[in-house]
Amino acid sequence: MSVKIEVGAGGIPHNQILIYGLVGSVILIYLTYLNTYMQAPYFAFFGGLAAVVALIWGTDTIKHLCSYGLGTGVPSAGMIALGSGVIAALFGATTGIFAPIVTVIIAAIIGAVAGLMANAVVRMDIPVMVVSLIELAIVGAITVLGLAAMACGTFEFLGMITGQISILGFTITSYETSLIGGSIIAVIFMLGAIAIQHSFNACLGPGEQQDRTLMLAAECGFLSMIVVAIMSFAFIDRYAAIITLVISIIGWLYTYAKYIELSKRDAYAWLDAQPILEPKGGA
Amino acid sequence: MSALGGPKQAGGIQPPTTMGLVLGIVLIIIALILAFFLVQMAGLIALIGIIIGGVLIGFGVHFVPVGGAPAAMGQAPGIATGVAMLAAGAGLAGLFGGAWAAPLGFAVALAGGAIGGGLLMAITCTMVNVIYVFGMGIPAASGKVDKDPITGDSFPEYKSQGTEGHGLPFISWVGGVIGGALGGLGGTLIYLELLDVYQAQLPVILNATVEQIAPIAISLAGIFAVAMFLINAVLAAYNITGTIEGPHDPKFKRFPRAIIAAAVASAVAGIFAIGLLELVGVF
Repeated sequence: MSVKIEVGAGGIPHNQILIYGLVGSVILIYLTYLNTYMQAPYFAFFGGLAAVVALIWGTDTIKHLCSYGLGTGVPSAGMIALGSGVIAALFGATTGIFAPIVTVIIAAIIGAVAGLMANAVVRMDIPVMVVSLIELAIVGAITVLGLAAMACGTFEFLGMITGQISILGFTITSYETSLIGGSIIAVIFMLGAIAIQHSFNACLGPGEQQDRTLMLAAECGFLSMIVVAIMSFAFIDRYAAIITLVISIIGWLYTYAKYIELSKRDAYAWLDAQPILEPKGGA
Repeated sequence: MSALGGPKQAGGIQPPTTMGLVLGIVLIIIALILAFFLVQMAGLIALIGIIIGGVLIGFGVHFVPVGGAPAAMGQAPGIATGVAMLAAGAGLAGLFGGAWAAPLGFAVALAGGAIGGGLLMAITCTMVNVIYVFGMGIPAASGKVDKDPITGDSFPEYKSQGTEGHGLPFISWVGGVIGGALGGLGGTLIYLELLDVYQAQLPVILNATVEQIAPIAISLAGIFAVAMFLINAVLAAYNITGTIEGPHDPKFKRFPRAIIAAAVASAVAGIFAIGLLELVGVF
């Protein structure tokens, strides 16, 4: 890439975050497949962790893209990311064990078309547009697939559309009590969109630091994870859901504390700080 | 990639690049052929409906008076938020209206969607003006034209110095309602086309009745309609680059670019949505 404008200088290079984000999130999603091996959904939380990793990567991509000046709000990038992502995630989910890989490929196709349209037809002429929208679509797709896998314990389509309901001791299969039939996927969509668009929007401006922005992204990811963990009580085993919820809350508490710490580091002054020292000899 | 990083031409509206146009036409044709092979004639009709819906959304967004952050400070006319948020609001309201009316027939559902979207924008625009006039004490004045094309009211006397106009003139109000109606119409059209495809395929795949699979079909069609709505709205937002006052704004003339981009993006996203169920059970 020939043109490179950083919002806040320094930090980890974007390409490094890209590789760790992509490989890490795909491996974490595949770890939820342990549920199928063990016949118990105790590993559903890996889906949420995959979403958190993807969100950190996506926030850095948004930072990279928005440093060129889109002319419209930062949230628009998050909206197009999840818009492309949810289509890719649900299409990929129908391919069984290959779901995460197919999801990434389909998301890359949709993102590439959106990026080419934005650059060649709408004439944004931003050098990183195509690459960024590909990355964002993949991030959106992994976020949706990860959170969906976390809520219902599997990333396979048939698992997402069938649920069990017990009436008078009999367990029957019902499509209404499933992740997609119950429209939980719409909530996951919005939780992912809010998580991806908030961090950079909140931290941008003078003195923006990469570690603080990415910590906020992780915090938003865990916050979304808590909500999905509560919803997962409806779909997976109670103890598995409790494990998911505890991990989400611990992750959120840790990232929240770290974020406040980093904010205090970067802030000029804060309320419970030492009084601001007056320059000697009066102002 | 070579054609994308080209130098910016000065002034005027930059036309789409030849490569972008050719690529767009090729992609639409490929998508149409794929739709025909996957779901035969029904798929072809559904994809054409989706493309028309996407184009309506992309066109409708240009009517909506978007003010962004300057409008929040009373320094530019329009509603004080971004394009993606406004379009999503109008589109989702329209989609709810249309989805509710879906059992009453195609025409009624489309009308319901258009009225839903238009009604939301009418309420939003009215309340925005109530807040501007009675809360912030600023009159409505456009910065782009001297006279309101509909009412004939003159603006320059009311425009504060150093601003691009403020408040929400009547022409912008009309534009907002038209934009909301077009967006709602497009979103509902996408929803209805996808619903038809899923209601035809799901009972065969799952060996169930139409009533049993209704929650899945409605949820899938709804989430995909929302996703495509957001992709098209964001591409239109990139075309507008920031703020627009309504149909009288010079930026409105850029809409052909957004229509091409929306058609191609809808075709590619739509083919994945239509082909979603083809792979269920293959792996």
